[in-house]
Amino acid sequence: MMSDREALSSDDLSLPKATVQKIVSEIIPPDLVFSRETRDALIECCVEFIGLISTQSNDIAEGEAKKTIASEHVIKALQELGFADYIEPIREVIQEHKETQKQGRERKVGKFEASGMTEEELLRKQEELFGLARSKLNQEGGASA
Amino acid sequence: MDASDEYAPPTSNQLQQPLPIIKTRFPVARIKKIMQADDDIGKVAQATPLVVAKALELFMISLVQESCNQARMRNAKRVSPAHLKQAVLSTEQFDFLAETVGKYPDAVAVSGEKPEPGTGPGRGRRRKVVE
Repeated sequence: MMSDREALSSDDLSLPKATVQKIVSEIIPPDLVFSRETRDALIECCVEFIGLISTQSNDIAEGEAKKTIASEHVIKALQELGFADYIEPIREVIQEHKETQKQGRERKVGKFEASGMTEEELLRKQEELFGLARSKLNQEGGASA
Repeated sequence: MDASDEYAPPTSNQLQQPLPIIKTRFPVARIKKIMQADDDIGKVAQATPLVVAKALELFMISLVQESCNQARMRNAKRVSPAHLKQAVLSTEQFDFLAETVGKYPDAVAVSGEKPEPGTGPGRGRRRKVVE
């Protein structure tokens, strides 16, 4: 019995057909049509491409004694495999990603700063609330603190 | 008419400019899954599947455009697996796909040389092109 991991046609290890179809229609001129068979053949090629890049990137990472495949490894792989013309657009993607990450971090820090209180004030406020809770508990009939 | 007016299919290793702007995105999580389906592949940095997705997009643009060229050269309106196969076989960058496309039928030969200069794909050609 063929396991799912081996089946190329299994949706899990393939690209979603509808997505690929949409992308194809964004590429082809209006007077041409991609047949369903051709789209499926294209998907196979895409999966092969991912495998090729992954393997090459992995080899490069291992060569640098790195356990994690990073963007730079992918870039080197593309260079070695003859896809140097992909590198510039990819550097833009990496830059955008860094910007997004940076914004996310700033937002997290901002929450603390946005409270408008210093750390001491926040601690005092916390003690107040605990005090209130404690007295409420005592009022409700002597539950042990 | 001089040589620069001839319709010449793009050579490999060059993305046809201007690049189409693709709005649809590949599912990044799925790409990561496909990468890691290979047991040799271990951890990948957060940006890596994003980068591979972009490379994949460019690859697809290139392969689809070349397949379309192959269809046009044969006066076809439907791009068939045979056209895709021919796109692979005629592009050095896609040598790694030669085995993958082996099972598809061969496209018919394009009779004669490239289309007449200035007429564009399929227009005004008196020569018969067998599909």
